[in-house]
Amino acid sequence: MSTIAIIGSFADDARCANAIEELRAAKVGEFNTFSPIPSHRIEHAIGRKKSPVRWIVLAGGISGVLTGLAITIGTTYEWRLNAGGKPLLSWPPFIVICFELMVLLGGIFGFLGVLGLSGIPATEIAPGYNGRFGEDRFGIVVRCDEAEAARVESMMRESGAEEVVREGV
Amino acid sequence: MAAAPKINREPSFRDIDRSVLRVMEPAGRAYWAWVGFCFTLVGIAAALWMRQIYSGLGVTGLRQPVMWAIYITNFVFWVGIAHSGTLISAILFLFRTKWRTAVYRAAETMTIFAVATAGLFPLVHLGRVWFFYWLLPYPNERSLQPDFRSPLVWDAFAVSTYLTISALFWTMGLIPDIANARESATGWRKTFYTVLAMGWQGTDRQWRHYSMAYLLMAGLATPLVLSVHSVVSWDFAMAINPGWHSTIFAPYFVAGAIFSGVAMVMTLLIPMRKLLGIEDLLTEWHFDNLAKVVLLTSLVVSYAYITEAFMTWYAGDPIEQMTFHMRYFGPWGWMYWVMVLCNCVIPLLLFSPRIRVNLRALWVITIFVNIGMWFERFVIIAGSLTANFEPSQWASYRPSITEIMITVGSFAWFLGLFSLFCRFLPIFSMTELKEGIVWLRKALKMDRVTAA
Repeated sequence: MSTIAIIGSFADDARCANAIEELRAAKVGEFNTFSPIPSHRIEHAIGRKKSPVRWIVLAGGISGVLTGLAITIGTTYEWRLNAGGKPLLSWPPFIVICFELMVLLGGIFGFLGVLGLSGIPATEIAPGYNGRFGEDRFGIVVRCDEAEAARVESMMRESGAEEVVREGV
Repeated sequence: MAAAPKINREPSFRDIDRSVLRVMEPAGRAYWAWVGFCFTLVGIAAALWMRQIYSGLGVTGLRQPVMWAIYITNFVFWVGIAHSGTLISAILFLFRTKWRTAVYRAAETMTIFAVATAGLFPLVHLGRVWFFYWLLPYPNERSLQPDFRSPLVWDAFAVSTYLTISALFWTMGLIPDIANARESATGWRKTFYTVLAMGWQGTDRQWRHYSMAYLLMAGLATPLVLSVHSVVSWDFAMAINPGWHSTIFAPYFVAGAIFSGVAMVMTLLIPMRKLLGIEDLLTEWHFDNLAKVVLLTSLVVSYAYITEAFMTWYAGDPIEQMTFHMRYFGPWGWMYWVMVLCNCVIPLLLFSPRIRVNLRALWVITIFVNIGMWFERFVIIAGSLTANFEPSQWASYRPSITEIMITVGSFAWFLGLFSLFCRFLPIFSMTELKEGIVWLRKALKMDRVTAA
């Protein structure tokens, strides 16, 4: 039995989310969605866990604070400058450096994390992708056995798909 | 008289894309003449900087005790201008402010170019610019390290972090829009956008990580933006110089930064709306809200001026009082009163709802604010240095042509980069406009902007 891709195109995210819920309930094939905007409806319908990018940002933030402490304490011990009899380790100014590095590394880690987790830079276009999905249409691509194709197509149409097409994978 | 453009008051996603992408179509001669003019001024400024590097800071008007003047004024001014971008893109994002979607990309772009301009001034101000890296810690055989008690070192960290984070936040927002532009582009632009879009396709997986990262980046950028201008203010407040040594400087500078930055956003957006034909994206609703932010921050800044005067009087320090007397009534007193007029009096016109939707009036008011805020920085920085503890050291300052032309060049550099961006990358966020399409439609239906 060969696998094929069925691509449904929707005018709005509500209908697209309905179709996703139907497809999930029927447990037919794997699916992927495309949308011009991030949609909470689609995200809830798909039901995936929260993005782990938040842990990557946290790791970046902690590394930033530690780097800040290492730089300030390390360089102060390397060049022991007595400024007006103040303690060698002046913590309040170090907080500024630690804060800036926390934000810097948190942001860099977050940016690289989102690229890595999202699979970009990507050189290949995902099956079923269409330029309209970046513009004004919401798309679902279901990869399923040919035997189930008719059922998937009718589920998409019933959920309000404007257009449903088949593509070989 | 040309007929008013017909505005689609019920735009679809596709209409938004068309309006934004139309701005990126190849430009005419007038545009290139403008860009050429800007970069010619930048070239002149660069040549004068070269001459300054070769000859030394003697070519400037900097003389003891006024060793910080126009260059540092420009640095603080441009860092301040940058702040509105992060306010609109990050802080108002966290508050879920609806009107920000149409103006955030332009404001964020302004942030990037304003910080890039600001970052040049500490370098321009250095006598031996090739040693700029001495501000940063690095391993060296003499074990010499910067003193982290110095606010100038904090500044190096704060401003470079600000530039990096703003650039990443801006790039992240741009990726889905560039991917959208890629679909309809042809020729070299297609290749250009395809490379920049990095294969973005808007899958649920991509949006899931993107949305979370965007939220967290906004969360990181919010305290960052407040910290950056606080750190800039501590460059002054940490010194014991009268006129600088004040605990109110951090909130005072942050409010001033947002005030000048939002005014600059309006100064740029009002002519852009007409020149780029984007009346269907920027409405009365957007300008009215931006004007309210300008009005609010103007009141905060006015309050800071009053508090500063009160604290000086109440503290009873004669040197501090003398400095402020010089500031108000000395040889440069006129600058202080220009600043009060531009920053405290003229913005009061924004209490009028009619003025808040009159674009000509708004444009003139925001230009006054920009002038006033530049003078504010100059009065604080150079003005406070002219009259020090020792009357025998008092001296005036006169900027040289090098400093004036480098200042003009910095405006040209900023405007030139901004103009280039407008034609090659999306200056409006298609993604966010579509997310807030309901609000945009409502705003378009109520729109009654005058004197466009």
